[in-house]
Amino acid sequence: MRRYLARKLLIYLLTFFVAVTIDWAIPRLMPGDPISGLISRLQADPTAAQEMHGYFTKSFGLDEPLWRQYLNFWAGLAHGDLGPSIAYVGSSVSGLIRAAIPYTLALLVPAIVLSYIAGNRVGALAARRKVLDNTALPAAYLLTATPYMFLALMLAYFFAFRWQVFPVSGAYDFSLQPEWSVEFVRSFVVHWFLPFLTLFLVSFGGWAIGMRNLIIYELEADYANYLQALGAPNRLVRKYAYRNAVLPQMSGLALALGAVVGGALVTEIVFGYPGVGTLIITAIQNRDYFLLQGIFLFIILGVLIANFVVDIAYVIVDPRTRTGLQGS
Amino acid sequence: MSSKSARRVVGLGLVVAVAAALVASLATAGSGSAPQAVLAVPRGDTLYTSGKQWGPYTNFNPLKPDYNTGTVGLVYETLFRYDPLKDTFIPWLASNGKWVGRNYVVTVRKGVKWSDGAPLTAADVKFTFETQKYEGAQYGTMWKTGLQRVTTRGRTVTFHFRGVPNYQEWDSNRYTVPIVPMHIWKGYSEKEIVSGNTANARKLIGTGPFVYGGGIGGSQTLQYNRRDGWWATKAFGLKMPMKYIVDIHNTSNTASLQNFLQSKIDLSNNFFPGIDRYVGGKVATYYRKAPYMLAANTAWMVPNTTKRPLSDVVFRRALAESINVNRIVVADYANIVSKANPTGLLPTWNKWIDQAQVKKLGFTYNIAKAKARLAAAGYRDRNGDGYVEDKDGSSINLRLIVPKGWSDWETAIQIIADSAKDAGIKISPAYPDFNGLVEERNTGKFELVINNEKQIGNTPYTYYDYMFRLPLLDQQTVSNFQRFSSPKAWALTTQLNKIKSTDVAKAKKIHSQIQKIMLEQLPVIPLWYNGMWAQYNTSVWKNFPSANGNQATPSTWNGYLNMTGIDALAKLKKK
Repeated sequence: MRRYLARKLLIYLLTFFVAVTIDWAIPRLMPGDPISGLISRLQADPTAAQEMHGYFTKSFGLDEPLWRQYLNFWAGLAHGDLGPSIAYVGSSVSGLIRAAIPYTLALLVPAIVLSYIAGNRVGALAARRKVLDNTALPAAYLLTATPYMFLALMLAYFFAFRWQVFPVSGAYDFSLQPEWSVEFVRSFVVHWFLPFLTLFLVSFGGWAIGMRNLIIYELEADYANYLQALGAPNRLVRKYAYRNAVLPQMSGLALALGAVVGGALVTEIVFGYPGVGTLIITAIQNRDYFLLQGIFLFIILGVLIANFVVDIAYVIVDPRTRTGLQGS
Repeated sequence: MSSKSARRVVGLGLVVAVAAALVASLATAGSGSAPQAVLAVPRGDTLYTSGKQWGPYTNFNPLKPDYNTGTVGLVYETLFRYDPLKDTFIPWLASNGKWVGRNYVVTVRKGVKWSDGAPLTAADVKFTFETQKYEGAQYGTMWKTGLQRVTTRGRTVTFHFRGVPNYQEWDSNRYTVPIVPMHIWKGYSEKEIVSGNTANARKLIGTGPFVYGGGIGGSQTLQYNRRDGWWATKAFGLKMPMKYIVDIHNTSNTASLQNFLQSKIDLSNNFFPGIDRYVGGKVATYYRKAPYMLAANTAWMVPNTTKRPLSDVVFRRALAESINVNRIVVADYANIVSKANPTGLLPTWNKWIDQAQVKKLGFTYNIAKAKARLAAAGYRDRNGDGYVEDKDGSSINLRLIVPKGWSDWETAIQIIADSAKDAGIKISPAYPDFNGLVEERNTGKFELVINNEKQIGNTPYTYYDYMFRLPLLDQQTVSNFQRFSSPKAWALTTQLNKIKSTDVAKAKKIHSQIQKIMLEQLPVIPLWYNGMWAQYNTSVWKNFPSANGNQATPSTWNGYLNMTGIDALAKLKKK
């Protein structure tokens, strides 16, 4: 077990190192100089603009050779410093991300967990059951094939714009400021629901289909036939099938995380949700190297940690891996 | 399907449905007559604004130009304000100001107090202007072009200049440099003043009508609370009718439009294409008819004059004559913008435009003329592809760029390409992203670009500076992107800078000379006036600025509150 974990950890560290290096490099491969864009936005007068260009290039450390910028980046990272933001001059990247993360997590975590549970349940029920299979399955296919952006727009159009049941955008009412109060929480939940539903529905469809197919596969396995031949009740057979089918779904969860995070970013933009997704757009538009790096770093870390958790959970759920590890 | 599992599915469905209904009921409860909690600002006392801020509210530094909505105007104030509609300066924190020889002398207004109770002093003014000596400071130009020192005596502040002052530029400084409290700001480092956010909520001490109410950092709104005892109530009888101003940061113009139409935003300075369809009823604009909005800046087509054939003035003129701007105004903008004068000068600068000269020298849309002009100069279609070739026979295909995602401009350049085609000029529209465009533009790699960065202000000097500034550098960061070299035009521009705007006759003469070069040489091609986008939802507030009423700049964009944006707010009335 310890060796298994150590090996996994090493792989994760390696992945982290490579991912972070790519993360550092990608923004710098984009065309255009962020400082020129900044000066252009700031609309300084011509005499001041020349000096400001030099001043800002220096203050962001962009006048240094690339290799040094790369080392500075790791050095900063070791101190938990993600650098200054270029789009929001004067703000630190960590501060900006810290402010946005709660919103993104509030969407992501419930959407992932609930859609996984509900999707698997419904998929398992639908397998080999004519009526349900003929109704739930097409719906699930439709949902999982829907791009996040499209579903989000449809929900926003009908529920927020046409029928005005839910608010169009934002994370809480304009008359409020974030605070722990009943009023704020109520407003937050109302604003949270549509973006959450978008993420939930799309993932839900995927899990349901996956589970349905796996159950059918398991029900055709020898052990299922054998159980049935022994006269075991249908429910018991399905229970065993479900247990076995959950395993591939779990690895699927680890794989799907990246896509869900991507979906959350897009959904946030549609609903004007003040999370990381909205921040990323500003960062891209302004060539904000540091902010982009910071956000990607957050995504990399999130996906890696979640994968690690799934890995461990897998060991717990599947006794075979445990025996394999201990060397039976 | 067994009845049991069917029941389970139904049960699950029910749970989801109930949850949805519950959340929905919560939603409707809020929009209905539910009692307001203490911390939510009451709708009737609150003015909701949007359209300025994109992204979180982080920068409360008034001396850094991308400051949050209202930082200058609502919290910090300037010595003067400028009314572009009447072309007058309004003494504000200065009770008066005048030139005494080459010194500019202002008297700091009596009875102005910072929101922490300390009085505004001449030392605050001196301190503020002196911070602009720091490297990288936004208003640093004045110290490099003549301002020598600032001295104070009692309430009087004297700005000493060496040589003839740059009057035109100084006039801009008079109403754009926000005064900060020395007793707080002397604690800030040079770096914090030049590029920091000064976002300590307890230190946001200004002289203005509002104080900070909440929203620093991650919030989607910025709240200001009305301050009692604002000096202008006594001095000018101005009183803010709203207790709160809540500014909403934009995520997209579409989301803002929906919120605006649902009466969640009162004053929107977003760009809403198609807003003309909503005007009337509860939606109002500055003009009741086209162009609906005041003009805020000029959109130009900037030709790279170092490249063939754009280096040829005859070709530039033919190009200008081949563009059907009216089609852009009607088809692209549905009349919410208007066609620009051939000088490109904004309507508020009409008194400086030599109209007789414009009539004589200005270009007009005329395909036949453009064609004839091209033919006469030797630009002919030699290979029969419908487009003219350069004099030496090489083909012409001009790349015209606008930033990706600026949909109104994307449409505009398609219209331009279509329209130039009629005269035989081939233009290929392209849409690099903003920073890519800036790179191409600043380094002179581009061929044609649309630009509108110079905003309305007290003098067309800024426009001339934009067109003619010399010397040309490797990187042209904010002006003369076209790299047009006319020492004469630049000499005239610098000469104009040294003439007082009050010296109208003398100034007019130079304006006219500069415009002559502009009209004959076409260093940039003026297209249309972009609007000072402002839409009012009148369900909660009324008496918004309009052409035949409260005439003021209806904008919360940076730089507009210190024009007459403050008057616009103060004259609003509860419905």
